[in-house]
Amino acid sequence: MKKTLLAVLASAVVAQGLVLAQQARHPDFTGVWSYAIDRAPAALKKEVNGQVVIQKIDQSARHGDASTVKGVQPSTPRPTYKPEYLAKVKDLADHESRTDPVFYCGKPGVPRIGPPRKIVQLPKETIFLYEDISGDPYRVIPTDGRPHRQYPNPSAYGDSIGKWDGEVFVVDVTGFGDDTWFGEDGYFHTDAMHVVERIWKDGDNLVWQATVEEPKVLAKPWVMPARLLKPSSDSLEESPRCVESDGGRLLNDDHHLQR
Amino acid sequence: MRYAVAVAGFIVFTSFAAASLQAHHSPSAIFDMTKHVAITGTLTRVDWVNPHIVLMMEAKGEGGKVDQWKFESNPPSWYKSVGLARADFAKAIGQTITVSAVKARDGSLYGYMDKIKLPDGTSYELLNGSEAK
Repeated sequence: MKKTLLAVLASAVVAQGLVLAQQARHPDFTGVWSYAIDRAPAALKKEVNGQVVIQKIDQSARHGDASTVKGVQPSTPRPTYKPEYLAKVKDLADHESRTDPVFYCGKPGVPRIGPPRKIVQLPKETIFLYEDISGDPYRVIPTDGRPHRQYPNPSAYGDSIGKWDGEVFVVDVTGFGDDTWFGEDGYFHTDAMHVVERIWKDGDNLVWQATVEEPKVLAKPWVMPARLLKPSSDSLEESPRCVESDGGRLLNDDHHLQR
Repeated sequence: MRYAVAVAGFIVFTSFAAASLQAHHSPSAIFDMTKHVAITGTLTRVDWVNPHIVLMMEAKGEGGKVDQWKFESNPPSWYKSVGLARADFAKAIGQTITVSAVKARDGSLYGYMDKIKLPDGTSYELLNGSEAK
């Protein structure tokens, strides 16, 4: 009995050791990461009894071109659609203030949502948490070697599995529906879309870059521009609900873009 | 100047509303950027919602009737980034405030707020990039 107990304890210690050793082999991405997209310069002017205080937007997380960061793959600003779909993309883009699902509180999906706001790295799975006006999605990404689910329900964030390629965390995503855009400007796709996200460390920062493979509508895979994220001390908060009320008031198709 | 302020507000929406990249309508698709109004009335409601916060106000209109004004402004995440929360506005519910805004082109009592003056004399104004420097 005593021997059995010792054997159980020993195997538990070994198992825990293996887990720790496995964790130690990979960089730890656990934490909150700042937005990588540009923030428009703006500020709030507060005036009380003649005293003026200008509260500027925190621009510290702003990064410019990330293309020169180590490990970043050459990218293009736009995907290359097959010729027969160019007119459709242009039509969607021309009217995107009326046709973009995200404008009407729709889910951006992968890869449009970009890098996660928070990463929780566990031995057998990694969890991505996001803040988004459509809700606050999460993704549980198995890293235990399992394959994709055979018949996933089509979704905006797809079916993800993760693995390590050296120090790069690679997330393979399939199982998409066809009702999201993978980027502004009318970047529609079908349920054949396949996305590969790559995440790695660059010093204290995190780099995120995704590739969109869409054999039905794209002439070639689109390597998206990389984004650089800074570690953040922000706490995640539940996003306020989304109530779109401008769509019915649009008098023309004027819109602006954001990169 | 105020034109630029309101434009900045819309640009800010696209940058802060989400981690995802978004397109958005131009302010000129809804608001007449040359038609600035300053409305004084009673704040009745503050909705801290995406993609724009919404303030409702009752103000005296023509012929003594009560107008129901609706103003939207920058997204909650933008206000969070400058240190303001719903409570900073909601504390004035039931009291008299003044809102400056560009007015909707469809003639409705709807505007994009770029300045608010609260009963205690505090005012908050959205600044664009050049004004913020």
